[in-house]
Amino acid sequence: MEDIKAYIESGILELYVLGDLSPEERLQVEGMALKHLEVKAELGAIEASLEVYARAHAVDPSEKMQDRVLNSLLINFGNDESFPGRTVNRVIEMPARTPSNFYKYAFAACLVLLLVSIAALINVYNKWKQSDSQVVALQLEKQQFSKRVNLMDEQLDVFRDSTFRFVKLKGTPKTPASAMTVAWSPVKKKVMIDMAGMKLPANDESHQYQLWAIVKGKPVDLGVFDAKADTAMKEMKPVEQPQAFAVTLEPRGGSANPTMDEMVVISNI
Amino acid sequence: MSRNHKISLPEEELVRALHHRERTGAEALYNMYSSSLYGVIFRIIGEETAAEDVLQETFVKIWHSFSGYSAEKGRLFTWMVNIARNLAIDKVRSKDFKNQTKNQELENNVTFIDEQKNTVYKPELLGLKDLVDTLKPEQKLILNLIYFKGYTHVEAAEELGLPLGTVKTRLRMAIQELRKHFN
Repeated sequence: MEDIKAYIESGILELYVLGDLSPEERLQVEGMALKHLEVKAELGAIEASLEVYARAHAVDPSEKMQDRVLNSLLINFGNDESFPGRTVNRVIEMPARTPSNFYKYAFAACLVLLLVSIAALINVYNKWKQSDSQVVALQLEKQQFSKRVNLMDEQLDVFRDSTFRFVKLKGTPKTPASAMTVAWSPVKKKVMIDMAGMKLPANDESHQYQLWAIVKGKPVDLGVFDAKADTAMKEMKPVEQPQAFAVTLEPRGGSANPTMDEMVVISNI
Repeated sequence: MSRNHKISLPEEELVRALHHRERTGAEALYNMYSSSLYGVIFRIIGEETAAEDVLQETFVKIWHSFSGYSAEKGRLFTWMVNIARNLAIDKVRSKDFKNQTKNQELENNVTFIDEQKNTVYKPELLGLKDLVDTLKPEQKLILNLIYFKGYTHVEAAEELGLPLGTVKTRLRMAIQELRKHFN
């Protein structure tokens, strides 16, 4: 009996009523209350006291709260009443109030958006680089075309220009199959050679053909060229009053005087 | 709803009505206990809007988890007030709530609320406040810390710089003192 009294006086029952005990301690108190009537009576008295204490400190909530609370309780009341048999089992535990996940989801969404944006950016960057190189290539092509068009214009001008004379150079006995055409304008002093229609044996790396004009009996250097039909016409150095044109094969870069043995074509004007 | 039509039921009948989820049960529950529960909630929270939210949450929780209550475990009010206190403490400790509240001293808060709110004349409580005032200040302080501020007795001991045993003794003495006058 003394034990029970000490137990009651320890203050544990007050803490039990105030909900200030661990689950194990609660079970222990409930066990004691079942076994000992004094404990149960003491608990009842403490509960009654605290209830009155709470009532002494009661605060009336505002009038609107009654409707608000009752509405939230009775929102499904009609349904519940029409199925009274089921209502007993239809106790729905309030879900534990979880802290809002909004920021978590918002953060995840931002991350996904960021990744998608980066992917899109990389994609666009690659396409842009591709287009950029295409533009460069197109510009180069355009430049080449305009160069070619200019060149062809120039070449056409040669044919339009009535001052040009076309001089046919024929093969020497050494190379009878060779032939080429030189266009010469006495007014403009311009000399062009027709590369496309040229028939000269291909020269090697260490040699080049050199065009000469014979002015007053002396050969005058008009420049060197390769026997390659990469351009249609090639402009050579200007000359006045040529009596004849000749082409010799010379070491690459040309010579000061023609090597007469290596003459491939010649003409008279 | 007019105050003249308050429904009041004996506790056993109220419990039966609540188990059967009857409308009268819900109304009686509110009429009988809302102000006592709100007194506790409002003192813990100290702010009207949040306290009203918690009052609503409390009744919703009582209503929906009523199958968890049985009369063998004790008085209905004890079960309900613990739900109310836990919800109120959760609210006070929640992040968003902590940011808004000013720190008011406990005693200031309790007397302030008493001055502001407890003006309704209740004949059945006549003299009750005087009884409460017969508690020694140190007894009242501990009881209020635990009952109206949501402290555990361990936290109360730390707050007041007292040994645990002293806190428990004073708490018991305070309740004994109340019983002396109620019985």
